[in-house]
Amino acid sequence: MALPVSLRNSVTPPELELIASEQLVEIVPLIAMERTAFISGAYGPLRPPTKAKIPIWMAMNLKFKKKCHIVPPDWLNVEFLQERLIQETSRPEFSQLPFRFAEVAKLLLDVAQDDIQNPDKIRSLLKDIREARQAKSREGLQKIDHSELSLPNLCSMEINEIRPFFVRAMGVLTHITRDAATEARGFDGL
Amino acid sequence: MDDDYYSIESILAENQKIQCTFKVDIPDMGHLDGGNERDIKAQSKIQLPLWIAYILIYSDYADFTIPSPFSARVKNALNAEAKSVRLSSLVGAGGLWYGFGKIVMRLLDDAPANEMSEILTKTFRDRLVEVIDQAQHFAALGPAGGGGQSGDQALMFREGLDGTERELFALAQESAKRTKQWYESSEKGRR
Repeated sequence: MALPVSLRNSVTPPELELIASEQLVEIVPLIAMERTAFISGAYGPLRPPTKAKIPIWMAMNLKFKKKCHIVPPDWLNVEFLQERLIQETSRPEFSQLPFRFAEVAKLLLDVAQDDIQNPDKIRSLLKDIREARQAKSREGLQKIDHSELSLPNLCSMEINEIRPFFVRAMGVLTHITRDAATEARGFDGL
Repeated sequence: MDDDYYSIESILAENQKIQCTFKVDIPDMGHLDGGNERDIKAQSKIQLPLWIAYILIYSDYADFTIPSPFSARVKNALNAEAKSVRLSSLVGAGGLWYGFGKIVMRLLDDAPANEMSEILTKTFRDRLVEVIDQAQHFAALGPAGGGGQSGDQALMFREGLDGTERELFALAQESAKRTKQWYESSEKGRR
């Protein structure tokens, strides 16, 4: 295999970020632009001050040039995240969050800090949520077995972080668990 | 751990020796024992690597005794506290305790094999969380830190990891490090 070892096990976080930046976000454009065709689709037209939906990568680009304001998605605010944090700490299961919330939140907080209310508070809430969820996936690790693992509402970044060793650990368990399947292979299987 | 023919780990795991008791006389094979005898006599006990022991055991030329890494003493210690057993010192440096156990398990009959599987699985589960916890701890330390304050018990545990667990440790550390790096990187610096 030509890929370096570190890339064989799973996707890297920057790659996930790239995937997440295809998602649409609402912006308030400050410039006018005709409907324009890109490889991933046609976006626009931009008519200030009408809101428009464009992919995050494009919004980031415009934002860097100070040509738009980004409207944060409805889950990226203090009240919503506060409520999720309470759910996260009071209940055993993972709370429901957008699948790529970690990536989107980071991109928007990095680029459009001035469009988001109370960004520091949001950052610390996201960090708390992340830690609470990490503790839960650690509990999931204790329950791991060779055939299946169900951790509903886990998000892409979290799945990606635990994937390499969960997969390996389950592989090891498959080998050392004795059941009908391994027995049938018997000596030939060696 | 794999069953792959080309898996180096599997070959290494098969290199562990187990004690075999021959049931029949085998002429002209005395050199296997390294002794001066010409023949292997019935009832003689010889330490043989697993890869040759299989075929002797399956062909009913020999019996084997449960090797010392899986003796009753080790089992008791594992039952008491799996995390304080040094698996690596049971099978030698870089040894594959689980791989060895898996092969021995396949040589056993139903009841003892189930027991063996239970021991392997329980030990693996009991130790896994600690392996991952420590891996994540070391990923968080970064290149400068490491060791020092982490305590003797943690150090002992790390030294006692078997080859399979070491691999898991490296995987968990690598992925935790990568994720942490991403969380700490900033978009602003890129342009």
